Amino acid sequence: MTPDRPVTILIAALGGDGGGVLCDWIVEAAHHAGLPAQATQIPGVAQRTGATTYYVEVLPTARARLGERAPVLALNPAMGEVDVLLASELVEAGRMIFNGWVTPDRTTLISSSHRVFAIGERVAMGDGRFDVGRLLRAVKERSKAQILFDMDQAAEEAGSVLNAVLLGALAGCGRVPIPDQAFEAAIRAAGKSVDANLAGFAFGRAHARGELEQAVRAHQKRQAQARGVEDLIGRARQALPLAAHDIVEEGVRRLADYQDRAYAARYLDRLDAVWSAENKAGGDGALLRETARHLAVRMSFEDVIRVAQVKVSAERFARVHAEVRAKAGEPLVITEHFKPGIEEICAVLPPALARRIMAWAERSGRLGKWYWSMHVRTSTVSGFLRLWLLSKLRWWRPRTWRFAEEQAQIERWLQQIRHAAALSLPLAREIAECARLIKGYGDTHKRGSHNFARIEAAVIAPALAGTMAAPLAVDAIASARVAALADPEGESLARTLAEIAQRTQEVPRAAE
Amino acid sequence: MFDQPPAAARTNPERSFAEEVRSLRLGAGEVFRGEGVLAVTKALLQSGVAYVGGYQGAPMSHLVDVLVESQDLLDELGVHLETCTNEAAAAALLGASINYPIRGCVTWKSIVGTNVAADALSNLASPGVIGGALIVVGEDYGEGASIIQERAHAYALKSSVWLMDPRPNLPTIVHCVEKAFELSEATNTPVMMELRIRACHVSGSFVAKDNVAPAISRNARLAEPVPQDYGRISHPPSTYIQEKLKVDVRQPAAQRFIVEQGLNELLPGEREDLGIIVQGGIANVLLRGLDRLGLGDAFGAVQVPTLVLNVTHPLVPDQITDFCAGKRAVLVVEEGAPDYLEQAIGALLRKKDIGTRLHGKDVLPMAGEYTAEVVTEGLLKFFAQTANDIDLSRPMQALEQARAGRAEAQRLIGAPLPLRPPGFCTGCPERPVFSAIKLLEREVGKVHISSDIGCHSFATLAPFNLGNSILGYGMSLAAAAAVAPVMQKRTISVMGDGGFWHNGLLSGVSSAMFNRGDRVLVVMQNGYTSATGAQFLPSSAGNRRDGNNTSDIAVTLRAMGVRWLRTIRTYNVSTMLGTLREAMTTKEPGLKVIVADGECQLARQRRIRPLLAAALKRGERVVRTRYGVDDAVCTGDHSCIRLSGCPSLTIKASPDPLRDDPVAQVVNSCVGCGLCGEVADAAVLCPSFYKAEIVQNPTWWDRLMTRLRSAVIGRLQGREPAADVR
Repeated sequence: MTPDRPVTILIAALGGDGGGVLCDWIVEAAHHAGLPAQATQIPGVAQRTGATTYYVEVLPTARARLGERAPVLALNPAMGEVDVLLASELVEAGRMIFNGWVTPDRTTLISSSHRVFAIGERVAMGDGRFDVGRLLRAVKERSKAQILFDMDQAAEEAGSVLNAVLLGALAGCGRVPIPDQAFEAAIRAAGKSVDANLAGFAFGRAHARGELEQAVRAHQKRQAQARGVEDLIGRARQALPLAAHDIVEEGVRRLADYQDRAYAARYLDRLDAVWSAENKAGGDGALLRETARHLAVRMSFEDVIRVAQVKVSAERFARVHAEVRAKAGEPLVITEHFKPGIEEICAVLPPALARRIMAWAERSGRLGKWYWSMHVRTSTVSGFLRLWLLSKLRWWRPRTWRFAEEQAQIERWLQQIRHAAALSLPLAREIAECARLIKGYGDTHKRGSHNFARIEAAVIAPALAGTMAAPLAVDAIASARVAALADPEGESLARTLAEIAQRTQEVPRAAE
Repeated sequence: MFDQPPAAARTNPERSFAEEVRSLRLGAGEVFRGEGVLAVTKALLQSGVAYVGGYQGAPMSHLVDVLVESQDLLDELGVHLETCTNEAAAAALLGASINYPIRGCVTWKSIVGTNVAADALSNLASPGVIGGALIVVGEDYGEGASIIQERAHAYALKSSVWLMDPRPNLPTIVHCVEKAFELSEATNTPVMMELRIRACHVSGSFVAKDNVAPAISRNARLAEPVPQDYGRISHPPSTYIQEKLKVDVRQPAAQRFIVEQGLNELLPGEREDLGIIVQGGIANVLLRGLDRLGLGDAFGAVQVPTLVLNVTHPLVPDQITDFCAGKRAVLVVEEGAPDYLEQAIGALLRKKDIGTRLHGKDVLPMAGEYTAEVVTEGLLKFFAQTANDIDLSRPMQALEQARAGRAEAQRLIGAPLPLRPPGFCTGCPERPVFSAIKLLEREVGKVHISSDIGCHSFATLAPFNLGNSILGYGMSLAAAAAVAPVMQKRTISVMGDGGFWHNGLLSGVSSAMFNRGDRVLVVMQNGYTSATGAQFLPSSAGNRRDGNNTSDIAVTLRAMGVRWLRTIRTYNVSTMLGTLREAMTTKEPGLKVIVADGECQLARQRRIRPLLAAALKRGERVVRTRYGVDDAVCTGDHSCIRLSGCPSLTIKASPDPLRDDPVAQVVNSCVGCGLCGEVADAAVLCPSFYKAEIVQNPTWWDRLMTRLRSAVIGRLQGREPAADVR
């Protein structure tokens, strides 16, 4: 580094990450080291969640050697002139790359690898998460060196805060002319949570210097626990292609836990039929795999019995304890929020009775108006007992209206898949995928089912009847499904279906 | 479930500026270290101000905030601090300097604050001042700005107020503050100083001087007022004379002062055939730009002579023409539109018949922030047109390479990155109101929402996307006045308590009452002007001067004649929804006001965190509340997030191997406000939400009950086989 050229540090953080404190530490550390430094910031408003940026310049020449001369330090970063980028979150690092601040000839990129999801990612009806795969490639290709690890986790493990870990990584990266002691002195001078911040600093520095590796926390997908279904799993392995085994086994376990063995066996019967249709059409099991996944979810639809089952399980109690970070010996009161309406209550009544009540409720305008708000304390004996008894109603479930309705719809859907498989395997897969739309409770479930029905009427039915060409239908279903998940008001779906209708009308005309 | 004191009993959020307050006490020869705004504050005390006032707003809030915490120091010096309720009041405060030889300073956020202050500003500038009057405006322009992009410069021109735009380093800023008072007194004219966001927050140091106690002050009062002088009243015929004085006397005096005191800096350079004139505030960007082109160095030496205007109004004609004369071309680097400086300089050159070619907005953009990239490109274009003997190939190539690199980076990343607009804090009491409005719209359809300035304006962004217009601070009710009459449904105006006292009460409420407006107004009463950092307002509890409460919003509204008035605790979404429904449908004519009450959560957390920590330390029983989502019950539709938007309500990968969509989760930053549970209840969402109350320092009774309950529950769970296999 040339003595007269300042070392430049750009910091990207989120409101509440302590970017300002980080900046102060760096300036203070430079001061301790006798180096001229200047920081400034675009802090945004006082609120959290917004992106904030900070910019620091440190002249590597000691103040004492400058005499009367004072450097003119910049307040704005310049493209191609950033030595170190510090980012407290992965997409924020990405934003700095996107804006051109990170360059492969000069910039050391130091970023936490964890994600804090932006509002746009969180509100999506399906999966709106930004795909970080390409971002990670850009990180590698667009920076000179990279120090990337989960600083959120590191801070937690060190009992510290993220910005202290970032400061440690900055000290450890070897790009700033400030000695470790000066950084530590700055933390001490600030006088707040000194020990915790020093611990975070030490962790970040050691990681940046390659002196320690972070244990990666794997995301474990939970598996349903069910015993005594080994024979059913054996049967599945025999009858179904390898590609679908893991999914089918999970499905079998799930449904035995949800209802009983017989129900799990029924799942396999249904899959047998789908596989035979796919097999006949020359498929490799891809259709079966997708269908098996959705079928298990559809067959384990959420009713009050299911919810009670989940809520009273011992495993769930342990999970809540861990999630809310209750220490051993700290009593925990858990209150559940329920608000069943007429429909949820009818769901567990016999079909004939349920239909009569539903008809009355609809006639009298009470459907969707009458709800019973219940706050149940599952950590008390009486509250637990209420849900526990409900969870014991599993034997009754096959006699309920909801069960009958769900089975009829499932049969219809499976029938369409089998029928479509004979015409076109991609079409069958698209129909299978549509099950993704049906999820949730109350209005969400209603909206999903309604969207499914609209796609069924507009595309699936004509495709199966042969009035719409299969390749056209495949595209149409895929785009309709995306549209259905675009907005809760259903406006995108309406637009997409209208376009599809127009396109299908154009085809015969074009042929004429 | 969420205990909070009533509005009248909320206490000071206790932000601590102890460190800052200490630096304000530094004496002669000691080195001050800190950021730009604080340096200005210290410079005021060194200049012997008798009074300071202002209205908060980024990036200037800190100035008044720190002084509020420095009451002891102010009392010692005799400095009066007025925390004004709007910028017009702040500008009028400077009226003290019209008749009395006392120095005063006010501050606010510009352009919006200057707009509000405009009337008082004109009436101040016309008679002029005998005591130094300084207006420090935070020029909220460029990256990070939160308002419309306009220049304060226009006000300086039209009102004949002098405008300083110092180089963004602490010694220059401090020097300019001190000189501003002298300039003001030498010319009987108020002086405005603009500081951009980065300059307000820039770190640095300067050698302090002793604070100066003003000769006339709270501590040294005058026996009686000065005799009346009609010449100091901004009424005709005085105004005709005052206008002449501005141009015939004050402006030439200012120009003399600027030259004599050397306020503008001439940086010499060997390329005498060229020149650059730059606003002081962006001098650093320019100097680094010249360095980049090989025409300067890191210490501010330049090869091209540069005139740095630390005073941008008035210009000194001789200084400009002397600088330009004999040069082939001069570049004016002036940020923002319109190009006031460039026009003025062009006119000067034309009148003096100086043939120097003038460049500016032809090579630099008319609008937008002058960043390093923008200025570098402008310089490259300027030199390419005016000096073909300078080899620019290397910097040109570097710029192109950087741009190509950026394009490559964008190609690699592929899709636009998710935006991160500001949003409501975790546990914000304003969020539930918008959740309720969203639910209301499900029933009655879309409603015209007139939004306002303040945290609640974030409702115009995702996930609420509620709000059709913003017309200014406290203007939301007035802004619906002509919408409501053409709308079948009533309109809803949303306003904060900050906006209410700033302008909304008079511009909105009184006008709506007067005109029998049939509209709905929601006043967010969180107790502070929260968006600017929790400053007190007239309805805050415990006035900073005597601890007593001042004004009450509901009482004020009643006094204004509002008949339909409800005060609702915001976290109760169902009640809020019911109240909104009633307001929208009631037969009652006229203005309907809902005071949506809930303490600012940031302030609340600041207040209760130390209390809780202390209680825990003493071994007292403390219940910590937070919410959670059962990930096995959540199906990943995220309705709850669309209706809440709480930062602590986020998503995670689904633990279910059969599902792809991420599920909702509540992260550890949850403060237990209960909104997610309320929304799940009011919107009939799903049963995955639970409330967890963690009992810290449990009593023997807690422990006994827990042991008994766990025993029973554990047995029941133990008997429950993992799968009922028949």
